[in-house]
Amino acid sequence: MNVIRELAAPAYPTIRVRGSLTRRLALLAALWVAAGLGVTGWFVVRLTEEQIEIAADARMTSLMDAVVAAAALDPVRGPILVRAVSEPEFDRPLSGHYWQMSAQGGLVATSRSLWDQRLPAPRPDAEPRNEDILGPRYEPLRLLERKVQLEARFGTPRFQTVTVQVAVTRVPTDVEIGRLQKGLVLAFLGLGTGLVAVVALLVVWSLAPLRRAQEELVEVRAGTRQHVDLTVPSEIAPLVREIEALIEQNRATVDRARTHVGNLAHALKTPIAVLRNALEREELPAARAQAAMLERLVQHHLRRARAGALAGAAGSEASPMAAAQSLATALRRLFSARGIAITVLGRDSARSRADPQDLTEMLGNLMENGCKWAVSKVEARVLPGATGMIRIEVEDDGPGLAEGQDAAALARGVRLDEAAPGSGLGLAIVADLAGLYGGTLTLNRGARMGGLRAVLELPGRF
Amino acid sequence: MRLLVVEDNVELSQQLRTALIESGFAVDTAADGEEGLHLGMTEPYDAVVLDLGLPRLDGLSVLRRWRASDRAMPVILLTARDSWSEKVEGLNAGADDYLAKPFIMAELIARLNALIRRSNGVARPELDFGEIRLDTAARAVTRQGQMVRLTALEYSMLAYLALNAGRPVSKTELTEHLYAQDFDRDSNTLEVIAGRLRRKLGDGLIETVRGQGYRMTPPR
Repeated sequence: MNVIRELAAPAYPTIRVRGSLTRRLALLAALWVAAGLGVTGWFVVRLTEEQIEIAADARMTSLMDAVVAAAALDPVRGPILVRAVSEPEFDRPLSGHYWQMSAQGGLVATSRSLWDQRLPAPRPDAEPRNEDILGPRYEPLRLLERKVQLEARFGTPRFQTVTVQVAVTRVPTDVEIGRLQKGLVLAFLGLGTGLVAVVALLVVWSLAPLRRAQEELVEVRAGTRQHVDLTVPSEIAPLVREIEALIEQNRATVDRARTHVGNLAHALKTPIAVLRNALEREELPAARAQAAMLERLVQHHLRRARAGALAGAAGSEASPMAAAQSLATALRRLFSARGIAITVLGRDSARSRADPQDLTEMLGNLMENGCKWAVSKVEARVLPGATGMIRIEVEDDGPGLAEGQDAAALARGVRLDEAAPGSGLGLAIVADLAGLYGGTLTLNRGARMGGLRAVLELPGRF
Repeated sequence: MRLLVVEDNVELSQQLRTALIESGFAVDTAADGEEGLHLGMTEPYDAVVLDLGLPRLDGLSVLRRWRASDRAMPVILLTARDSWSEKVEGLNAGADDYLAKPFIMAELIARLNALIRRSNGVARPELDFGEIRLDTAARAVTRQGQMVRLTALEYSMLAYLALNAGRPVSKTELTEHLYAQDFDRDSNTLEVIAGRLRRKLGDGLIETVRGQGYRMTPPR
């Protein structure tokens, strides 16, 4: 068995499955084909039916004309045919072709084919009749009825109204129409089935690249494949590219995490060794110092790990003013005993392209540092920076830094902590975080208040 | 000084209790948010040590409810997470200070002392009552520069009276602030302690206000 089958598909609750593209498209195609072909088929059948009817009516009219042309009026016998009508079916008994002439006084002449039967009696109104009736053998007949004036050769009255009826069986017409309808319906059904089948095939064929991509992703997840390597149609290419980017980002994150764990492990080794020695020689103060150092290391790496995990997630924005103001509120509480005035200045619309928590972390460390050293006041200012950057200044009225001390204050993490416990770590973390976002932290002497001025430049807009 | 410790980790809670009692505090403990909330609502504590990650009701909610009910005692938050976002959230919910785990016990005690002093409107850690000086940070009492040895209860009573100097403090109030909840309270012992304090520090320091309790003159 290959790996694809063995690896269970992950069930993520945020991905809900509803419907199927194949089913959706096939259903839509079937509906459209059925409706379209149904309406078209109905029209075609109706048209041909009409054509056949028109032809049948035309033939009846010509038969009627022939009968009328041959008709004459005998004063004694009533209406008669003076010439034979050239339709042999009129002479074959019950052939389905009949004529009948009725004059006043009940004088009736019929074709031989009617034998002893009669067509229905004519209507008294003068309207010419054209309707379907049942014949002598209960076969469907089309009946045409006309009233004509015939002239008798002598006697009175000379002119008489005679009703001429011609009836022709509908059976051949109906058979023809039926055959045609059946043929058309079969043809349209075949066409419809074919269309739906083609749509279904089309869907399956169109979605095949998706299935191939999925199979490859399964392999990537299983670890038997490094990359999605596919030729895909342009509609799917962006999706596959996004997924590939996600895989790449994931891999980078994992690599970074691995490096980080390695760094941490190495960084912990030295203090552990020193701690062990100190414990062996029962030097408690040294052991305590190493424990504190371990603690700081863990703290430092924890923060970096969090920041590192977030730095990859692009697109987040944070408001420096909002962060600084809520920090100011918190710090006023924290430093309430010393009554330090914390001012926040700047424009509310300023945004920094950083995770809000990271921005709060940076500003928090800078402002807390300011409060620690300040005599009476701390000021945070949000200003425009270089193009595409914003500049955040935190200034206090404390003693500030001596020349050359800023480099030490910003030296990464632990080394500085050993030199000046409690003061440097925060600023080093700010520098670290700022670097991760493509920004900088610089320290100098504040022109306005004379204390330390920390300048944080971050990507963003003012 | 009477404290409430709300912490669900049994070991840490025990360590805190022991260390705080050793430092002369009366300590009540609660192991979950609801119990903590109830105690903080009903008992007069001088300060609270509140863990943020608590079962049943988280620390921030407990704090917010206290503050919403005008319970104004100083609260120091304890938590394993120490990002500024969380500090801001905690402080703006009404906490007075914030301590990240792991912490050093001495640091917690120092901050508690500072918080209690500040909540009583005393800015400096040293209180000067003439020949008697009280250092609340070091928990030390001197008489004419000489160190005076006090028991935990004696110190607590002196410190409470000193922080509330200028107004008479009733025996009930003293009892409530000097003993933990489960302690067998007996107001007669207060008179014994007051007597011992007068013997060690001189008669003039603590005056008895008939029917109202004890009073100390405000420090210089």
